[in-house]
Amino acid sequence: MLRTPLHRALLPCVREALSVSRASASTAPEKIEVFIDDKRVLVEPGTTVLQAAALVGVEIPRFCYHERLAVAGNCRMCLVEVEKSPKPVAACAMPVMKGWRVKTNSEMTKKAREGVMEFLLVNHPLDCPICDQGGECDLQDQSMAFGSDRSRFTDIDHSGKRAVEDKDIGPLVKTIMTRCIHCTRCIRFASEVAGIDDLGTTGRGNDMQVGTYVEKMFLSELSGNIIDLCPVGALTSKPYSFTARPWETRKTESVDVHDAIGSNIVVSTRTGEVLRILPRVNEEVNEEWLSDKSRFAYDGLRRQRLISPMLKVGGQLAPVDWEDALVSCARALVEAGPHSAAIVGGLADAESLIALKDLFNRLGSEQLFTEEQFPVDGAATDLRSSYILNNKITGVEEADLILLVGTNPRFEAPLLNARIRKSYVHNELDIALIGPQLNLTYDYTHVGEGPDVLKQLVSESHPFARKLKAAKKPMIILGAQQLKRPDGAAILASVQQISQKLGKNKDGWKVLNVLQQTASQVAALDLGYKTNARSILENGSNPPKVLFLLGADEGVIQRSDLPASTYVIYQGHHGDVGASMADAVLPGATYTEKQGTYVNTEGRAQQTLVAVTPPGMAREDWKIIRALSEVSGYKLDFDTLAEVRLRLEQVAPNLVKYDEVEEANFFKEASELNKDASAKLGNESFDVKLKNLEDFYMTNSISRASETMAKCVQAVMKQKQSKYYEAQSA
Amino acid sequence: MSSLMKFIGVDKIQKAIQIFQENGGLKASLIKMLRNDELKSGTLVGVDKYGNRYYENNAYFVGRNRWIEYADHYWLDYNASQIPAEWYGWMHYKTDLIPTKDPNRPHHRWMLDHTENMTGTSGQYTPYSTNRPKIEAWIPPKK
Amino acid sequence: MAATVKIFNIVKSNMSPNKLTYGLLAPMQVRSKYYCISEPDPSMKFKDMSERAVHIMFWTELFRGLGITLANLFKEPATINYPFEKGPLSPRFRGEHALRRYPSGEERCIACKLCEAICPAQAITIEAEEREDGSRRTTRYDIDMTKCIYCGFCQEACPVDAIVEGPNFEFSTESREELLYNKEKLLNNGDKWESEIASNIYADHLYR
Repeated sequence: MLRTPLHRALLPCVREALSVSRASASTAPEKIEVFIDDKRVLVEPGTTVLQAAALVGVEIPRFCYHERLAVAGNCRMCLVEVEKSPKPVAACAMPVMKGWRVKTNSEMTKKAREGVMEFLLVNHPLDCPICDQGGECDLQDQSMAFGSDRSRFTDIDHSGKRAVEDKDIGPLVKTIMTRCIHCTRCIRFASEVAGIDDLGTTGRGNDMQVGTYVEKMFLSELSGNIIDLCPVGALTSKPYSFTARPWETRKTESVDVHDAIGSNIVVSTRTGEVLRILPRVNEEVNEEWLSDKSRFAYDGLRRQRLISPMLKVGGQLAPVDWEDALVSCARALVEAGPHSAAIVGGLADAESLIALKDLFNRLGSEQLFTEEQFPVDGAATDLRSSYILNNKITGVEEADLILLVGTNPRFEAPLLNARIRKSYVHNELDIALIGPQLNLTYDYTHVGEGPDVLKQLVSESHPFARKLKAAKKPMIILGAQQLKRPDGAAILASVQQISQKLGKNKDGWKVLNVLQQTASQVAALDLGYKTNARSILENGSNPPKVLFLLGADEGVIQRSDLPASTYVIYQGHHGDVGASMADAVLPGATYTEKQGTYVNTEGRAQQTLVAVTPPGMAREDWKIIRALSEVSGYKLDFDTLAEVRLRLEQVAPNLVKYDEVEEANFFKEASELNKDASAKLGNESFDVKLKNLEDFYMTNSISRASETMAKCVQAVMKQKQSKYYEAQSA
Repeated sequence: MSSLMKFIGVDKIQKAIQIFQENGGLKASLIKMLRNDELKSGTLVGVDKYGNRYYENNAYFVGRNRWIEYADHYWLDYNASQIPAEWYGWMHYKTDLIPTKDPNRPHHRWMLDHTENMTGTSGQYTPYSTNRPKIEAWIPPKK
Repeated sequence: MAATVKIFNIVKSNMSPNKLTYGLLAPMQVRSKYYCISEPDPSMKFKDMSERAVHIMFWTELFRGLGITLANLFKEPATINYPFEKGPLSPRFRGEHALRRYPSGEERCIACKLCEAICPAQAITIEAEEREDGSRRTTRYDIDMTKCIYCGFCQEACPVDAIVEGPNFEFSTESREELLYNKEKLLNNGDKWESEIASNIYADHLYR
């Protein structure tokens, strides 16, 4: 396992920087003085030359060094001259010594760089015009900046350059291994961050190859990140291959909605089309990684789209004008009045949520539900602490023990899992799990399978309770999916009780965390949406006359559950479960097509920006609802986005405080209110929906429409047939 | 004698008669004058596959020493874009080699026949998109 | 006056007197030879004056001019008879665009988009994707010929000699839209003009 050797191998400084808890324990060592290009800088002992240079703004070229990966020191591009040293030193791996004078611009340094660059280029193909990295290639940039201005490469006998066979490592990453410069960033990422030791090198010298040893695919929920890491064009994105150049795309900063983490993304668009999605650095959310679903499901944005309003004509949905559609829907809504109900799906933005809620309240209906279910007993969703990830994602790095209850963070929130693994590798974090046995890419203690363990933990009769108690900063992460169970309330109550006990005398350290599954859930609950959608069917005598589905595609309510007279309106962007059961379809916008507010599982409000316009007649969701309200005679009093957000602020002020986490409190009160429920714990073991990698790829209407995601599922299935497949690895 | 003839301009008349004769008599010459706006005498250098005839007479100055007589079937609908690519270089004095004598002209089977500028006719080029539609719309399932 | 002011100024500014005199006296050097370049006055002799009067009275200039015109009627014309005769062109002439093919018939363009990037008029639009055989190809290669300024940067930027400005300049159209060339039109141009394009490139190969 990586954990121990890496931990020892890590330079003291890196360990120091990463381990927050222990940094405070050791006394601050004396700073040492070094000179970079005659600029004086004081640094911690153990700082590398490269880091010291970065402090004074001197950039040293590098290929293999990456600040989030272990130091390899194998590309030699960072060679610099140090006064009185006979040979140049590798800046990325060499800790500075007292009084060193580093010359990053001397003759020797320049010559060393030119030499390294020449060696790299001897075997690098000159195929930049067809290489997808062209324009954003480190090798291109650095050979311009630091390479020699003339070539000694004269292949007079046409012997050709070194050629390496390409590997098939899956449907997401395209490999052109001839371009590889053996920086091993991908290998280090796979083993350190993704936790899959599939990549490695074989051979030495000119025969060195990066590969998977045996013929297998590199399948991980984080595999796309090796594309960003690759400094050359050896690993490029397969779905994006050959489609655009980095200089011609328009970049829009946005937020991902495929999971509840709310990863920060950059959407690259051109000619009204989303061409690729890249991560945007946000240390508090996704660092600089992105899960494969968030990165590659964008081709789902152009398939199965609803591009015009539709009405049922003779039992068949047919495209109509906006006017007809709005008039029909408004008539149905006005007729139904209080007997209308709404269900919102996992991709709805806060703006459309508030618009829909206001419209329904004016109609006299309080029947607004989220598709994700949540117990309604006790405090339910009234107290915010019971449905958000209170410790925040960064809390994982401080924690020393994490108990996962009925959740699989690896596939529900891959970036949270990456954090846990980071903390596991660098901070000696211990992890325990209640639920089915899973492969989480790190070792964990399997405490139990079902709620009975929770009961024992409440009463402290379980052996693990002692360990929990001993932990300085324990975290309990409860999967929101367990709260759908009939005994969901009891599970929540038990976890709240355990957390309450553990949280005592912890100096404000919160223990309870709920990991949501969808991007819209926290905002919907903040706005006061109800959570028991099935209840509309339960008062049998009075079923809703109109059911409004705002992107609800998970099939909580089937058409067969409803009487034939119920008028179903679907508003959303994809033709999926919801649209196929609807009587009227209103085409909405996806997250790349609207400026919308999303609140992630930590309670962090973030907004998406418009990268492309909605296709065809589709419009931004809150505008559709606003139009509908006017046609139906219950006009909502906002006309612009700013006014909608003003209304949002009135209802839930935290929703418009962008990039801030509104922390929750009243843990004790929530626990008290839920106390009665805790007795009703069931016996059925916890089950998680996303168990294996193939479950991860298609979880919402966008990813279900995506061909790339379908190919990923097929690839996983194919991998399972392979003789090299180990049940453990995926 | 000849200088006297020259002095009174008889040689000009002789030359005119000669040009008329070279161009196939009075009637043919008049038709040619109608189509070509002038009458010239020169050697026929070649004929392209469309029937255009190319002449050269270096007694004229450069710019006038090479000329084309468009194929008869064009009648008065001749235009410069009817000169095929092969003869284009010779017509524009880029080369002195006529296409049949030029060893560096490629002959690939994918090369297309020349067409004249079709603007204003039914055969004109109209732009169209060469890529697939960007958005695939959802088609409601048939019941 | 101006000179005195200048002297005053310079004295005030403490310049060396040597430099001062040299600078001031330079334009005052003595010149001994002059040429009259204006037209001399007309002669005022009686004979010349009466001759001029006769020319003016009898419009002789007009008849001389007519004579020159008449003479030119019988001379070889100095103009060329355009659709039948054509003027010289350089092999480097930058006319209508064309996309070329390899001798095998495979299109040359690899969708590197360098021409699109360098185009100062932004006349080129390219969209690309992976073709079935895995090669990098354009799905759309549009040149707006009404935007194009015929600078030839695209053919200079092209690493595979795919986009070229061919010799043809006789592609004027009756409507604007006919000048919005797409990929097929450009490839067609290439196929039609390959004979001439190839020999132009051959003619120029020693100089690039």
